Amino acid sequence: PSHEYKLNFKKSKEVCLSYIQDAMLQKQWKRAAEFLTFYIESLEKDFSTEYMGPSEMIWRIGTEILCHHSNSSMKEFNSFIEQMKTLGVKRYLKVCLEHAFHLLCNGLIDEAYQNLSLAESWRFGEQTIIQNKELKLIQAYRGLLDYYSWRKQKNILLEHGQDGFEDLSVEQEMHSCFRKAAVSLKEIIEIPGVWDLFVKCYVDLLEFYGDHNEARQVLNEYAYNSKFPANPNAHVYLYQFLKRHGESKKSLTSALKILHDIVPSHELMIDFNIMLQKSKKRKKRRLGLEVIFAALDYAGWKENVKAWSCLARQMKQIVMSEKHLDWIKQEWNSRKDWWPAFHFSRYLAKRNWQENESLSYEKALVAGILLGKDCKYFKYISHQGCKAQVKRFRILKKFVNKHSPVYLRISS
Amino acid sequence: RQAETAFVPRRGGTGETWEPADAAAVPFLPPNASCWVPSLAPEDILYRGVLRRKLQAGKCEATLDFTKQLGHFFVDHPEDAFGSLGRLLHQNFHLGNSKLRRHARESTIRMTALREEIDRLEARRGCPQQHLVPRLRWFSHLSRDWLFEVPLGLLADCVHEDLLLQWASLFFDDSPTGGALAWLPPKDEGACMGRLVYPGGQAMNHLYFQDVVLEELPRARGSPAEFELNGRIRQVAAARADGEDFVGVRSDYHCGVWRVPARTGAAPTPLQVIRTSVPASCLTVSPHLPGELAVCTQSGAVYLWNVETGLQRLRHDPQTMFFRDHSPWHWSDFTAHPRVLSCADRTGLQCLDARAPGRCHFDLFKVGEEAGCQQGERVVLPMYLGRAYPSQHLVTTQFSMYVLDERLPLVPVLKWAHMMKAPPLFAHLTPGGPDGSHKVLLGSSRTQELLLLQYRGEKRGTGGGSRSACQLAGPPQKLHSIAGCLQHLPAQLPYRHRLLQQRLSAPAAGLAAALQQDGLQESLLVFQLSEAGDVFYQRLTHKAAPPPAPASGDEAAAAPGSSPLFDNPASSPPGLGSEGEEEQEEEEQTFYFPQPSPAAALRYRRWLKAISKGCGEPPRHTRPPTFGQKRLFTRKELEEPSAPSALHQQARQWLRQAMRDGGRIQCWDPPAPQPPALPQAPEPAGDPDPLSTRLTAAWSGDWEQWREERTSFNVAQRQRALRERRRRQKRAHGRRSLSASFTSSLTYQSELSELSDAAPPPLSP
Repeated sequence: PSHEYKLNFKKSKEVCLSYIQDAMLQKQWKRAAEFLTFYIESLEKDFSTEYMGPSEMIWRIGTEILCHHSNSSMKEFNSFIEQMKTLGVKRYLKVCLEHAFHLLCNGLIDEAYQNLSLAESWRFGEQTIIQNKELKLIQAYRGLLDYYSWRKQKNILLEHGQDGFEDLSVEQEMHSCFRKAAVSLKEIIEIPGVWDLFVKCYVDLLEFYGDHNEARQVLNEYAYNSKFPANPNAHVYLYQFLKRHGESKKSLTSALKILHDIVPSHELMIDFNIMLQKSKKRKKRRLGLEVIFAALDYAGWKENVKAWSCLARQMKQIVMSEKHLDWIKQEWNSRKDWWPAFHFSRYLAKRNWQENESLSYEKALVAGILLGKDCKYFKYISHQGCKAQVKRFRILKKFVNKHSPVYLRISS
Repeated sequence: RQAETAFVPRRGGTGETWEPADAAAVPFLPPNASCWVPSLAPEDILYRGVLRRKLQAGKCEATLDFTKQLGHFFVDHPEDAFGSLGRLLHQNFHLGNSKLRRHARESTIRMTALREEIDRLEARRGCPQQHLVPRLRWFSHLSRDWLFEVPLGLLADCVHEDLLLQWASLFFDDSPTGGALAWLPPKDEGACMGRLVYPGGQAMNHLYFQDVVLEELPRARGSPAEFELNGRIRQVAAARADGEDFVGVRSDYHCGVWRVPARTGAAPTPLQVIRTSVPASCLTVSPHLPGELAVCTQSGAVYLWNVETGLQRLRHDPQTMFFRDHSPWHWSDFTAHPRVLSCADRTGLQCLDARAPGRCHFDLFKVGEEAGCQQGERVVLPMYLGRAYPSQHLVTTQFSMYVLDERLPLVPVLKWAHMMKAPPLFAHLTPGGPDGSHKVLLGSSRTQELLLLQYRGEKRGTGGGSRSACQLAGPPQKLHSIAGCLQHLPAQLPYRHRLLQQRLSAPAAGLAAALQQDGLQESLLVFQLSEAGDVFYQRLTHKAAPPPAPASGDEAAAAPGSSPLFDNPASSPPGLGSEGEEEQEEEEQTFYFPQPSPAAALRYRRWLKAISKGCGEPPRHTRPPTFGQKRLFTRKELEEPSAPSALHQQARQWLRQAMRDGGRIQCWDPPAPQPPALPQAPEPAGDPDPLSTRLTAAWSGDWEQWREERTSFNVAQRQRALRERRRRQKRAHGRRSLSASFTSSLTYQSELSELSDAAPPPLSP
């Protein structure tokens, strides 16, 4: 009988949970709340070894309901969370962190800060060690809030500084904020992970106090340490840092080269191409062509006028100088079986002409060089352009006709 | 100066409000014409009977009824099971009733008794006192090794293996992954004519392209273009490339591709078919290049299929990618780069470059720590979200859904535990506008669950550098399932109700959605296909952004522990936000007891009419137990005894009498049985037609009275008749046999008892 009781209890628990879920998914928050009060009974005999036990369920469901319920207030939310904290020491810090997030999203920065500091000093024997990861995060977010108040004070100070007026107490507070923020931010970004926000803030702190070496080291570590996930943002931050500090073209290029290797479709590839096109070195201009071709492989770039004009400009240069036609040929070789259908179909010609004349102009130039003057795209656009009496299309037609032997050399 | 920092939640922020326009899903097309054979149910292959009860007491796992399946094979395919030995032995086995002649006895044995034993065994199936007869036991021991065409051990292994597969697919059948329903949106923005592509027919092997007009109510226009295929359609995938729709169709061993030209009304043309030796598990259509598809087979081969250049194999690896898993399921989809394909199995996703598939690949998603996966979590369905954001992918598992970015692989940009009861096998993306949220629909097969999620991808801020992260917008929403419309159908007879219930709760087989712009009103039409081939739809209407929810102040401050949440809303003090609250209250009310609109009700009625007409008398799936005479009695028992005994005579008399009276015999044993009182059907009495008088009486409401009159009339009449008969008997027969007088007195008694019954229970009014 005791076994049967247990079974029935388990069954009714499950049914109750599915009712709650049903109500929540239909936005019937009141009904869900009523069922949740029944579900709380399931805590009575919680021997579950499941991934998510009833007490965690109650915490999550309760939070969700209180976020949407029309009658709930912040006060109730806080008191609910306090109960949840005492309910499970095993995830005490997780609850604290989520609570802080909720406060932050509601603009209650000071309350969130208090909560985080309180959680940071929580000690509970072994549990503190087990929840070390959460503790680190709590420290990091507390540090982040310190950073924001540091920035606020910095702005006040800068404003007052312009008036020729100095406030010592503000400055002192600002420095203490800096110290607290720097220590905890530094700690978290040493652990492998994706810490974009923390890294940016930490670098900002360091840069303000002129510690460029440390900042550079942090960014290098974040970008190049193989223990960290391959994160394109890390390279973007490094590039932006180097650019801010007027570093040499060479180091900028190498930063962007790595970004190109990881994410050939990154927005910065246009900057990269422009930079490389200007270069005097042949190798770099070659790389520039590669970069822009690779970017235009991606569906997201199909209608990017800037990218197409970069490619058109570089190809025009090459065709006019008649040097390095083999570069184009090489790039084209791996694309000639799918670019015509992907970029230069008749359907796209019609649509591009209707939607974006400049785009169709740039693309028609590229199509004319790569596929010759008989290519559908070029034919349609140049015809429409001439019909509409737009001067540049007439020039375009002349240009392609004049350089038609180039097409033969590329496609051979 | 920097702007004030604002924190935005990763999930639960405000999304668009989409409200269901109707109370339940509404039939979109007439029911799939042919009758539907319900798919395998657990009781079809589970063992029923003594053993099961025993096992239940012992808390054992479910037991598959292996012997029954094997038995079915022997009965259904006797030629394959015993063909040659049967031919060899048939001269030596005698099955007739006659005795064997002396000279035949040397080479022939009589098997009649054995067959009878088997028949009897069959009749007692499920009987707890079932014992194997020694004769049968003896025969099976003797013949086990040589009787069967296929060695029994080998056959048993195969049957067992198949049973296990069937059993596993009862829990989770991944063959319909991706769904067999596709919506081809209108060609131009403003147009309102799209196409729905779906399978139908009894074996779901007909492919239909149906023109659909999106008006107030979506309706089918004209008759659909139809193609008959060579196998059950598992998946229909569609994508638009270069202004034309390409539709890929997957069945187990064949994949085909159709092109639907841009002109409205143009017929779809089949382009190419490929055949696979191992069942295909995936077919996706490229959104980048016309006529390009990705195909995977269960043997782990991934192909890029171009209608013009043919198949290119990118990978062939039966092993799973990241850790060992037994499932042979593979999937592939396209990515932001037209030459790079994602390739998935249950353990994760990899991206392969078709230009150098051996060298260039990277891991996109791995079931493991990076994504915070649970133990036992497996990939169920990946989907490329290119129409929302070019580099994003959706990955669903049985527990969660993830959004991944190709540029930052392995670390999901969004994760949400969907809590669906069955794994989501279908997903559909409806991209939102530049400001809107993207709508993702997740659907499960067995439980017909349907969830609507909204998410916002990465959006560039005005400042250039600042961006908002990927976030789930608003709480997820549950949509109607097909089975939910049962309660809105007109009341049915119980057995019809049961059949309808069975049909409507057939597992879902596909999911599609269409965005409809009707002036300012935006609505989302969600189509659902069931395994029975029925297509239902529901409409969600977009409500303009509600005013920011009024924060209810701290009135009604409650002691910790008690919450005012559960108070009666009427008793809550009217505050600033009372209006908004009441509005919400009303909305919730409409959720509780919704009624279908008249238009929907009409569709229900039409659908019901069509289904009852189309299927006629539906086949019975659970036949009531029948007993053949042969099985109840053996031949010997049925043999006429040479001379009928007195008891026989008597019983015969009873039977005859009971038949004459239209009654029954309740008890055969003496003392004299009392045949039950049955209201004698009122005899037709001359004028006027008794039926019409009865009906007239019933119609005017005084049927009771008519009945009374009728019975009293009968009493009088019968008493008269009795008296008459007795007189005749006395006159005609002076002497009679004992038994005869006994019967006659019995007859008399029964008639009396019938008359003496105060209120005969009317059986058939």
